[in-house]
Amino acid sequence: MKKIYLIGNPNVGKSVVFSRLTDVHVISSNYPGTTVEFIKGYLSLGDEKIEVIDLPGTYSLESSSSAEEVAVSLLREYPKDEIVVVNILDSTNLERNLLLTLQLVEEGFPVIACLNMCDDAVHRGVHIDIKKLEEIIGVPVISTCAVTGVGIKLLIDRIKEAKPISRKKLSHDERWKEIGYILEQIQRLEHRHHYLREMLEDASVRPISGLIMATGVIYASFKIVRFIGESIITKITDPFFYGTIQPLLEKLSIHWQEKSFVFHLLIGDLINGKIDFKQSLGLLTTAPYIEFGMVLPYVISFYFVLSLLEDIGYLPRLAILLDNLLHRLGLHGYAIIPVLLGFGCNVPGILSTRVLESKRERFIASTIISIGIPCVPLQAMIVGLLGVFGGFYVGGVYLVLFIIILILGFILNRLLHGYSPEFLLEIPPYRFPPLAMLARKLYFRVKGFVFEAVPIVLIGVLVVNILLYFGLFDMVTGVFAPVVHGLFGLPKEAIVALIIGFLRKDVAVGMLAPLALSAKQLFIAATLLAISFPCIATFIVLWKELGVKDLIKSTLIMLTVSIIVGTMLNFVILR
Amino acid sequence: MKKVSLVHLKPNHKGKVLEILGGMGLQNRLMGMGIYVGKEIAKLSYIGLRGPVVIRVDRSVLALGHGMAAKIIVETE
Repeated sequence: MKKIYLIGNPNVGKSVVFSRLTDVHVISSNYPGTTVEFIKGYLSLGDEKIEVIDLPGTYSLESSSSAEEVAVSLLREYPKDEIVVVNILDSTNLERNLLLTLQLVEEGFPVIACLNMCDDAVHRGVHIDIKKLEEIIGVPVISTCAVTGVGIKLLIDRIKEAKPISRKKLSHDERWKEIGYILEQIQRLEHRHHYLREMLEDASVRPISGLIMATGVIYASFKIVRFIGESIITKITDPFFYGTIQPLLEKLSIHWQEKSFVFHLLIGDLINGKIDFKQSLGLLTTAPYIEFGMVLPYVISFYFVLSLLEDIGYLPRLAILLDNLLHRLGLHGYAIIPVLLGFGCNVPGILSTRVLESKRERFIASTIISIGIPCVPLQAMIVGLLGVFGGFYVGGVYLVLFIIILILGFILNRLLHGYSPEFLLEIPPYRFPPLAMLARKLYFRVKGFVFEAVPIVLIGVLVVNILLYFGLFDMVTGVFAPVVHGLFGLPKEAIVALIIGFLRKDVAVGMLAPLALSAKQLFIAATLLAISFPCIATFIVLWKELGVKDLIKSTLIMLTVSIIVGTMLNFVILR
Repeated sequence: MKKVSLVHLKPNHKGKVLEILGGMGLQNRLMGMGIYVGKEIAKLSYIGLRGPVVIRVDRSVLALGHGMAAKIIVETE
């Protein structure tokens, strides 16, 4: 046996089983299409280490989306006798899940069937005779609950029992009949009353009750993100920076002469003779404060709420309600998932546009995300700096971005050839993830942020400080001054910040702090930072996902939009 | 017995699939999700304004775009 493949319908918990088998953490959520590319890990089986591959969800072996194609083509990469296929099924929905199982067995793959979510099945009154199912389909069948770990050991123990068997190839109609026959023998459904959970599930997909619920959920999400973020800042990070770090730095800094190179690099400029974490711009002052004191609290609170919504299974319901609006923008409802992920960080947002079928949709979605969706670090900084002038300005930035998305989407939908495919989506039941799962997911997302962001921020601030010290920015600012000053009404120094925006958006907003901008100027600069060039990480992902030609197209759109919006804001709207 | 598309089937009513007006691509896709000629489907809701139609097939809930729902013809009481 050389490889183990995990295959199954979307949203049956393949990624959770994968994490259990390999100890590799992968993000899992309660909606179809969380895994858009295959992921590898290793399982130790005795002395052997066998590669395990988690495939994107697929409904049948006749693939109909790009993620499904990936799954089916990978499955055929190795000779059938060298692999084992672990087919994961949703116990609560065997009717549909067994189609793929029968196809796999008929094709002669060595299959082991893993009936996942066994606890949920019991809850919903579904009783399955595992032994009998094993007899009928002729391959090992195991009942698991991957979220809690039940049955995983048995699955590992029996993996080697998977052998190809010969089974008559059926036509589609025959196969569905066969499934009906199998279920009659092995499944007993207990009749139960409608519980609150089912009532809420149904209410959220009906037009009026659905809209009321969506408004409530979105409002509550905003409130909770702000509450947690602010609480962390006022209760933990600010006391730490001002109470512990500042006195320490002041003692240290006596050893260096102010205005010297070292002082300039590490501490930055003193504001009124004191270290100011927001304005000093030093490697030991502003750099850590931006990341840990302003951005990290919101990264934690945002991903907490997003992870919760993901795992409960609310997001596909939002997709149904927004399908209408998004169709006008050349997308369909499911595009809301990449957009929401983009609010955390544009990179995973653009990656997850793979759930959309056509190239055209993916281009529109990626462009809209990189222009109109500000990531958490950028938002945290906007709230931190612009919020001083009042919530009105912060709300204004979101409003401008929202209008840009609508207009841009509408235009792109008109101009680009092709059409938007129809929406076809399975809506998962509500599930309540164990807190430990949620905490683990949050931990990995926050860790990912810290490891990716902090080095870039430190290097960024270092490079900027060196360039500033030697006055090397003067030449560049001279070139762009006519546009930035003449059209956008921003001081020359803001150009440095806009350029830094290509490195990291949060640092860029931080660079604006010492410039003493007016509310209007800060508003324009913050909006421009959101819509102009995405940061370098996003840029690379756009390149990988869209290809060079579409990347150039997308970039030209960004520049055009930036110039139009910046000028309009300066001369027309905020006059 | 009436013949209607899924768009026109009333919410909270059941129907049996009679015909799927579409190419093999659509038929295969729907087949994988458990929608095929002869299958009984219950409509949960319609979002309105050419929005999606939400149906229940066996134990799963599916949302279909308006255009796709219009291509699925069911027979109802």
